[in-house]
Amino acid sequence: MEAVKSKRTSVLKKVLAVIFLLLVLGGGAIWYIFNEKFSDTTETKADFTVNALDLIHEFEKNDSLSNKKYSEKIVVVNGMVSEVEAADTTVNIKMADTTSGSYIIFAFQQQHLAEAKTIKQGDQVSIKGSCSGGAYSEILETEFITFKRCALNK
Amino acid sequence: MKKTILFIALVAATGSIFAQKKTTTSGTINFDATTSKDALPKAENKTVIAAIDAKKGTIAFEAIVKNFAFSNPKIQEHFNGATWMDSEKFPTATFKGNITNLAAIDFKKDGTYDAEVAGDLTIHGVTKPVKTTGKITVAGKAVSTSADFSIKLEDYGVNGPAIGAGKVASEPKITVSADMQ
Repeated sequence: MEAVKSKRTSVLKKVLAVIFLLLVLGGGAIWYIFNEKFSDTTETKADFTVNALDLIHEFEKNDSLSNKKYSEKIVVVNGMVSEVEAADTTVNIKMADTTSGSYIIFAFQQQHLAEAKTIKQGDQVSIKGSCSGGAYSEILETEFITFKRCALNK
Repeated sequence: MKKTILFIALVAATGSIFAQKKTTTSGTINFDATTSKDALPKAENKTVIAAIDAKKGTIAFEAIVKNFAFSNPKIQEHFNGATWMDSEKFPTATFKGNITNLAAIDFKKDGTYDAEVAGDLTIHGVTKPVKTTGKITVAGKAVSTSADFSIKLEDYGVNGPAIGAGKVASEPKITVSADMQ
């Protein structure tokens, strides 16, 4: 009788230990997920490397297909800076197709804001960022493609 | 005759400066849905298209929803997901409105003016009328606008479980600013 009782206590202890371990691991996983920050874009592997005008033309041709392909992907875009535009306390970099007026615009990641300010109109640059997709602007009547968390691709 | 032509040219040039639509592709919208339970649901979109027509008194904004940058990947995923903004289906958010006290704003004179704006805000594929007050600053040829307002997410069909749990504010604060040339 005593042996059975002791065995039951031992099993119960093991079950409780497993439950405790699962709770700790589960809690740790949830804590990690909700405290995780986006990593530095320069340290993230690019999914695509494209020429600016080619990307613009791809979106102009079919933006829903292009959105499926590029949205939330890390993309390196090579091209000439058409404009450096003031954005709040920093600047955004633009690459445009001068024929159609369609453009790509890059908003830089917090830790790379200073390097955005070093870029000038006419510079040939390589920018890496998270593509947010594109749409046709009813205001400007052009296609526009937006990027977030960008950095110079060195 | 020459003087008359010069005068007409000057009047036309002056008129076109003030009549032309001013735009930017780098307007900013800040979205703050933080609560006492969660400080993460806030983001910024710095690539907002904005336009103002001083003559007609129209004002418009256009943003790609996926370009709201959050600090946390999971919150950003939730924000764009089907129970929140469903940005695959509704990729843009827009505002089209009018300055209802246009006479109180002198676009030819530098200064900061109180502006009353009314228009249609489209989020998550739902269009609702909104009214807000903001500031318009005229500095030479540049016009800056700024406004703060709140929206009820349920008015736009956004009812994610995190709102019910108090982790996302049901009436997030929206701050809009744009410097237009």
